[in-house]
Amino acid sequence: MNPRGGVALIKATWLSWMQYRSFFFLLAFSWMIGPLVYLFVWSTAAGGGTVGGFTRGQFVAYYLILILVNQLTIAQTNWTMGDLIRGGQLNRLLLYPMSVAYNTLASELAGKVVYLLFVVPVAAGLALVLKPELHLTLANALAFVPALALAWALSFLWGYWIALLAFWMTRADALVTVEAAFKFLLAGQVAPVALLPDALRALATLLPYRYVISFPVEVITGQLDRAGLLTGFALQLGWLAVALGLYAALWRRGVRRYSAIGG
Amino acid sequence: MSHPQIVVSNLSKTYRVPQRPPGMRAALRSMVRRVTEDVPAVCEVSFRIEAGEMVGFLGPNGAGKTTTLKMLAGLLHPTGGAATVAGFVPWERDAAYLKRISMVLGNKSQLMWDIPPLDTFRVLAEIYRVPPVEFRQTVDELAALLDMEALLTKPARNLSLGERMKCELVAALLHRPAVMFLDEPTLGLDVSMQRRLRGFIAEYNRRTGATVILTSHYMIDVAELCPRVLLIHHGRLLYDGALRGLGERLAPFKLIRLTLDAANGSAPAADHLPPDAEIVSQENGGLTLRVPRAGTPALTAQLLSALPVLDLSVEDPPIDAVIDQIYQEGAV
Repeated sequence: MNPRGGVALIKATWLSWMQYRSFFFLLAFSWMIGPLVYLFVWSTAAGGGTVGGFTRGQFVAYYLILILVNQLTIAQTNWTMGDLIRGGQLNRLLLYPMSVAYNTLASELAGKVVYLLFVVPVAAGLALVLKPELHLTLANALAFVPALALAWALSFLWGYWIALLAFWMTRADALVTVEAAFKFLLAGQVAPVALLPDALRALATLLPYRYVISFPVEVITGQLDRAGLLTGFALQLGWLAVALGLYAALWRRGVRRYSAIGG
Repeated sequence: MSHPQIVVSNLSKTYRVPQRPPGMRAALRSMVRRVTEDVPAVCEVSFRIEAGEMVGFLGPNGAGKTTTLKMLAGLLHPTGGAATVAGFVPWERDAAYLKRISMVLGNKSQLMWDIPPLDTFRVLAEIYRVPPVEFRQTVDELAALLDMEALLTKPARNLSLGERMKCELVAALLHRPAVMFLDEPTLGLDVSMQRRLRGFIAEYNRRTGATVILTSHYMIDVAELCPRVLLIHHGRLLYDGALRGLGERLAPFKLIRLTLDAANGSAPAADHLPPDAEIVSQENGGLTLRVPRAGTPALTAQLLSALPVLDLSVEDPPIDAVIDQIYQEGAV
């Protein structure tokens, strides 16, 4: 495992990434655009009244938090890990007495810090102008912390197992595009899950995508009752276990295959 | 008798490569049924290397050198045979094993591109758990040996190829590996940089007693560093011994260079030549003959008496020529 080496790698990766601040700022900005558009669509639709129980201010709060959560949980593992496998740089990492996952984790965490340097001020500025309406309770705030942590872990591992498909397929990217569509539709981006038609809402509740982005937002904005909260955490944990299992199995087999065919 | 550091017995590696004839039809067919072909890269190679030895792997491109190195470094699983390095089975990739070895791939960098080498070294020191005091000592010592103190704080992407290679070597040695695998460490470097790196590798070996396996297409790297060479061709070990011995064994002839007194003795030299001697080149007064190794002394005497010799020297054929001959013919 070697956590000390991992921490050092994370620090160094962060130093490297800071060199490309503007690139990451642009990337972060591009990820904000979708939620921002829907923020304006829904808050305009709500006007002075409500849509599906949401007031204008509540839509603003929902989407601003969603933007932050999205930036925190968005996974880049498919790029970093997939490229390492395709490009053969994995050899280098396999020579280190350290888990290869640290490398991906390093770019993941390094990236987060850089994105947040951009996104937090922007979201704060928008909050001042758009006046969100958030009735924050201590219980919701407390539940938000594990929901967010689990969302990040799920996103990371889910992205990782898909990235590992690069051991077998030269381009696993197509799958990522399909995933992006699911995330757009079912993870509370186009509309809060509560506002989806019944069938889609059931699907969103069942599939993993909601638990990567919108579940923590629903928790902190107080959209969920006790039952919804418990089901949500249970499904989030369940999908995390699935992702972990897939990651472990694919990594073992993938490395065996990689060392059989050579990088 | 010390324990051998590296023991390899009947090590084999066969790659399964997808086969596809050109053309659309074949492309479509291969989507349904993939045809693969087994390509043997390394076949039943066996050797032992003692701790502290410097051994050169020779062989043409695609001979199986890198495949063998990658198996010994734990990056590839063999399809047959066994190997232990420093008492470990390499491909089990035990962390304790990985801490004892190092691999330099001439065409793959381990420096982090955007930060100065010193920062990469610090990360490596953490990964390999090198204590801070030892880390500073090692960096100072290695940097002084390579005369590269000034490079330590420039971002890696601003370094030249030669400068980067110096940093690669330091990076590979920070944890003081007991076994080093150097795959084309001098690739693409100019002659003086090559010489500098060679001197450095020899010095490291002398100071630490590390075992070194080196592959290089520059014969001089191998000739200067490695008292012992392993010649691999078509995945098979063709020769294991001294580089000098390779010439003797593989080229059953020697070269005799003669300078003849042109004014004295006008008869064409060819008339006086013994039947075994073959003219390699002939130009104003100089003559180079290829003669059977065993008959060299007798022939030399014969030539001295028959021709107006000003100067005579007996040489082994150049090692490059011998190796080239093996690469072409594929046999010893």
